[in-house]
Amino acid sequence: MIRFRNLAFGLLLPLVAVLVFAVLLTFSLIRMLEVENAMRVGAEKNMLWVFHQSEVAARRLTETAALVGLGEADIEELSLRIDILKSRVAILNDGPQRRFVEEIALDDELDRIAAALETMTPVAADFSPGEGARLREALKPAARIFGRAANKAMIAEWNDLGGRLETYRAQLRQIILSLIGIMGAGGILAATLAVALRQTHQRNLMLRQSRDFSALLISSSGEGILAVDRAGRCTLWNDAMAGLIGKPAEQATGQPLAELAGFFGIAPLRAGIARAFEGDSSELALQPLFRDEQTEPRYVDLRIFPMRNDGEVIGAILFLHDATDRHAAQKRDAEDRDRLEDLVAERTRDLDDALRRERSAADLYRNFAAMVSHQFRTPLAVADSALQRLIRRGPSVDSDEVVDRANRARNAIAGLTRLVESTLDVARLDAGQLGAQRMRCALNDIVRTVCTRQRDADPAREIRILPSPDDDDTVFCDPAHAEQILENLLLNAVKYASAGSPVSVCVHGDRQNLFCDVHNEGDPIPENERDLIFNRNYRGTNSTGSAGTGLGLFMAGTLARMQGGDLFLQPDTDGVTFRISLPRFKPSAA
Amino acid sequence: MLKRTARMVAALMLIGGGALAGQDDIILDVTGDITDGTAKLDREALQKLPQVTLETSTVVTDGTHSFTGFLMRDLLDRLGAQGELVIASALNDYVVEIPMSDFSEFDVIVAYRMDGKPLQRDDKGPLWIVYPRDQHEALQDIRYDYRWVWQLSRLEVQ
Repeated sequence: MIRFRNLAFGLLLPLVAVLVFAVLLTFSLIRMLEVENAMRVGAEKNMLWVFHQSEVAARRLTETAALVGLGEADIEELSLRIDILKSRVAILNDGPQRRFVEEIALDDELDRIAAALETMTPVAADFSPGEGARLREALKPAARIFGRAANKAMIAEWNDLGGRLETYRAQLRQIILSLIGIMGAGGILAATLAVALRQTHQRNLMLRQSRDFSALLISSSGEGILAVDRAGRCTLWNDAMAGLIGKPAEQATGQPLAELAGFFGIAPLRAGIARAFEGDSSELALQPLFRDEQTEPRYVDLRIFPMRNDGEVIGAILFLHDATDRHAAQKRDAEDRDRLEDLVAERTRDLDDALRRERSAADLYRNFAAMVSHQFRTPLAVADSALQRLIRRGPSVDSDEVVDRANRARNAIAGLTRLVESTLDVARLDAGQLGAQRMRCALNDIVRTVCTRQRDADPAREIRILPSPDDDDTVFCDPAHAEQILENLLLNAVKYASAGSPVSVCVHGDRQNLFCDVHNEGDPIPENERDLIFNRNYRGTNSTGSAGTGLGLFMAGTLARMQGGDLFLQPDTDGVTFRISLPRFKPSAA
Repeated sequence: MLKRTARMVAALMLIGGGALAGQDDIILDVTGDITDGTAKLDREALQKLPQVTLETSTVVTDGTHSFTGFLMRDLLDRLGAQGELVIASALNDYVVEIPMSDFSEFDVIVAYRMDGKPLQRDDKGPLWIVYPRDQHEALQDIRYDYRWVWQLSRLEVQ
């Protein structure tokens, strides 16, 4: 209801007032134009003057005729007066005047005067007083007629004038009424205008207050605030922004943004502003802001919004929040996390190692138990049967047989001892107790020592040491380990060599390493087992039926790697060749 | 300079021609602030001025008429008239004051022929001051209508 009333007063009333104003104005304009047109006085209405002039001309002609008779005027003068009167009559006979004369019904009299005048001209040079008298007689009614005509003309003109003035008055009254209406409508319009002006003023005041408040907010904001127009020129630059960039507002406003600081030229910021021009807001976190080359960059969070006016994007507004402290805190957090992760990884590694050791110990014991049950039983059975036989034979046994039986038992026990030793070695290796005491060694000496020992242990098997092509046979390793590696390989070679075939050992080398190849003839190791044989407790398919722990190659390989060398199975087709590689001794390495 | 000299010569010839004419043929007296103080001009002298024809209606006749004569300002220029006002008198002693500006603003003519026929003294002749009434709306006013002096006989420049 109130809205409707507001609408009625706010819009309808002025609209009606304007309509009334326009209609009345048009009406009074039309009326005034009519009056203006009517007020052009037609000169044909000036008949009073024409008749007066005609009367004067007639009277002066009569007078001149009399004066001619008295000899006080000449013929020329008389002729002029006649012409003047004739010209008056001619005027009266002309269009508009003639019509008026006919209106007042004096046309016959006028014709008679004209005819009389025609008879008088031209005036003879010998104009006699008698003729003068006749002329005066003829013109006598003329003056009277013109006088009467003037009288009638006056009445007609006054009637006409009176009527016309009455019409004017009526029209002017209408105009006055219209003007009063116009004033009324104008008053309403003026009042409406005043109300509208007051409202506008109040709104302007409110707008100004809110603008001042906004300006206060912007200037006192801790965030850097700037605005750019569509051309990329800075239109707003607050104090916080001046502090961040190092340029006061006076230098910044009106300048292209890209020229104010290199920071505003970076691609993500330009893209954000472009997006704002398309009407989308965007945020950029922790952008580095370099004020100059020397100082550390500050890190700012950016928010970019479009600025609109009547729905049209007229620019963009940017908020820069100094987030350097947050960035530093984040960086610290990240570093702490990395450190923690490293620590955890290290601990995990330690735990994994420990677990692996535990597992291998468990495996060892399990395998040891299995091996004991299987491998240890055979030599024990051999020793047992030898001793049983000795006991059964009793005194009948000769001394040679006693020695033979005892040696068999001892061999079995020696094998058992070796088994126990190698098992313990691996256990020490697993426990990390087996440190390498590396030094300068002559490899050929080690080879000779081990081969001699092997020949002594098993004289039936031929072991050949092939001549070394290398003069320098010094290596850098723990000699005890080297002996054990070589011993393990020789034992294997002897164990798996074809019956009667020799085992050969050859030392050679390259620039970095010396190699020792141990070769035996026999069945080659199947392709699918070549990698597996170096594993702990792995026993090849051809090892069934022979004593062994499955630890020899594992031990040899592990020890070789501890010396900085390695152990390989050479790709042979006739027999099996294992190669030990050990680093050459270099004086600087000692 | 040359133009001015030529004009002086023409004026002298005009006056000389006028002086030679018989007293009875004089149809226009010009007095007052002109080069020679007075000038008496006959029909022949006046017809030597550049001829101008004007089509206009009048307030005392029906329809439009063709008026032939000369421009008032041509005559006043020839006579070296200096002043603000011209007092025109007619044969019937009708007298009216015409501002000089009328002749510069409008092509006001002094007609000696109407519709090809010479104006006669017993009509509106021999000379009739005619304003280009149809050509200028400002002239359609009774304050100009009374300046149409017919039977013109005298001009006094003030």
